[in-house]
Amino acid sequence: MTNNASATTDSIIQVDGLVKNYDTGAVQVQALRGVSLSVRRGEMVAVMGPSGCGKTTLLNCLSGIDDVTSGRVLIEGTDISTLDDNTKTSYRARRMGFIFQFYNLLPVLTAVENVELPLLVSGTSPKESRQRAIEALRRVGLEEWAQHKPGQLSGGQRQRVTIARALVNRPAIVWADEPTGDLDSATANDIMGLMQQLNREQTLTFVIVTHDPSIAARCHRIIHMQDGRIEREVVNQEARVG
Amino acid sequence: MGFAQLVLRNLLRARVRSGLTLVGISLGITTIVALGVITAGFKSTAGAFVQSGGADFMVAQEGAADMSFSTIPETVVPQIAAVSGVAAARGALFHFTRAGSNPLFLLLGVTPGDLAADGPPLVEGRYLADGATDEIVLGAQGATDLNVRVGDALTIDDRVFHVVGVVQSDVLWEQSGALAPLVTVQEIANRREAVSVVHITLASGTKRDEVARRIEDEVPGVVSIVTADDIGKIDSGFQLLDAANVAISGLAIVIGGIGVMNTMVMSIFERTREIGVLRAVGWSGWRVLRMILLEALMLCFAAAVAGSFLGLLAVQAVMRIPSVRGFLEPSYEPNVFVQAFIVAIVVALVGAVYPAIRATRLTPMEALRYE
Repeated sequence: MTNNASATTDSIIQVDGLVKNYDTGAVQVQALRGVSLSVRRGEMVAVMGPSGCGKTTLLNCLSGIDDVTSGRVLIEGTDISTLDDNTKTSYRARRMGFIFQFYNLLPVLTAVENVELPLLVSGTSPKESRQRAIEALRRVGLEEWAQHKPGQLSGGQRQRVTIARALVNRPAIVWADEPTGDLDSATANDIMGLMQQLNREQTLTFVIVTHDPSIAARCHRIIHMQDGRIEREVVNQEARVG
Repeated sequence: MGFAQLVLRNLLRARVRSGLTLVGISLGITTIVALGVITAGFKSTAGAFVQSGGADFMVAQEGAADMSFSTIPETVVPQIAAVSGVAAARGALFHFTRAGSNPLFLLLGVTPGDLAADGPPLVEGRYLADGATDEIVLGAQGATDLNVRVGDALTIDDRVFHVVGVVQSDVLWEQSGALAPLVTVQEIANRREAVSVVHITLASGTKRDEVARRIEDEVPGVVSIVTADDIGKIDSGFQLLDAANVAISGLAIVIGGIGVMNTMVMSIFERTREIGVLRAVGWSGWRVLRMILLEALMLCFAAAVAGSFLGLLAVQAVMRIPSVRGFLEPSYEPNVFVQAFIVAIVVALVGAVYPAIRATRLTPMEALRYE
């Protein structure tokens, strides 16, 4: 493994001097203190660090879920920190997928209906939405469970549904916040294998926030954070992309 | 899966809560529909009486609290008849009394000459004879309800009448009641030399509104009742019904609105993280707002349908009471149902706006972090 902090020309994510402050009323918390980084298209990047170091805040700011205080966040060349809420939302719907630790599936919907959710806003016809959702479920090996509700699925199966939901809009980037945090090690291994496979086969860019070193070790690069800053980056030569 | 399907699933996830809210709102709608149908029925029944016997309109006492309390001295009738444009003026006296099991039987005092000239068509027998004081002509429904026929004797207010005829009238009060000599009814009602209303027939070529105004100008103490809505001028019961209708609609909106708001706020609190997910995967705040408003609208629409149905059942139940059946005929005017649905929509909007705005003001991150 080697250190690598330089930006690359084919970067899909380019971050310069990203600062995020939270005003809690009495105290101002500096969650991100000038983060700069670059991620190449098709790269699988892990973000690690102790609790409260700013990993999830970084992911939220990069994906446009949270606003930035200052700095620049270029996603596919577009500075999303300058976009209004509607444009950011629309951008997320078209180009991004999300995987959460606790799945965050709607319990009233079946697996396939949960996967269809992002397509409801894209103007895709119901018939095509259903085809694409089934296809996404097939890719994560859950086609036969399409009509089951989340309560009828195991943790690993639910996370696969979440992954299918993240894939269904054919995104450029998938953001994963502790995707294996609620799973046993064997299931975590399966889920990570699935994400690696999708990364390889579809050149999907993954940014994964994790506490688990074994998950991070399977990514191309590991960004270590501490106190709102990037402490160091480590490139995993065995897993290096391109 | 469509947007509406998701909305429906959200409503069905807390079936008991949604169901109870639906019941609450639908009871409000039930009251609005039942009262609306009965009010409209009462108005149309009374409105039919305005044109009784082919009259163009009628005149009553100005400021009377109720149509049956209206009192016009009999001497005023010729004065009204003398107003330019009036072809005929026929006085009639109301007397509501018990007959058989009906506590609201209408005994209408008329002069035999007026009845013979402009009375409803006879089904059986004849009209009242001039000078007779103990004869009575029954409406067909009244005769059936009391189980009497021509030739029978009928006792009303300790007075024995001889049934001489049965008429078929379009005016429910006449159809379910009876017509008796004016002098006799004045005596029974203890309102000597008085009538309640005067029916007016216009001379040809005259305008109704002009003659109505002229009568009010030339004859002191009377008011012209041209349409059913004008009855409110002399009948506070009409005004009370209208006021009750408005008050119940207002209460339904306030109480229903609070109920819907409670349901929707609870629902939004429980689903905050889900809303965060929807926002994260590309749902705009506007779409989330639409989802919540549509949930409330669907709930209230279902309540409006159920409430309208229950309202109709309530009217049917009320119409089983014989005295009511003889007093009013329900009128199922579309306006009543339009009003019910408008109230339901307002309830939905009042109840859903706050939770919807609250949900859309949450940033995706705030919603996702919500515990």
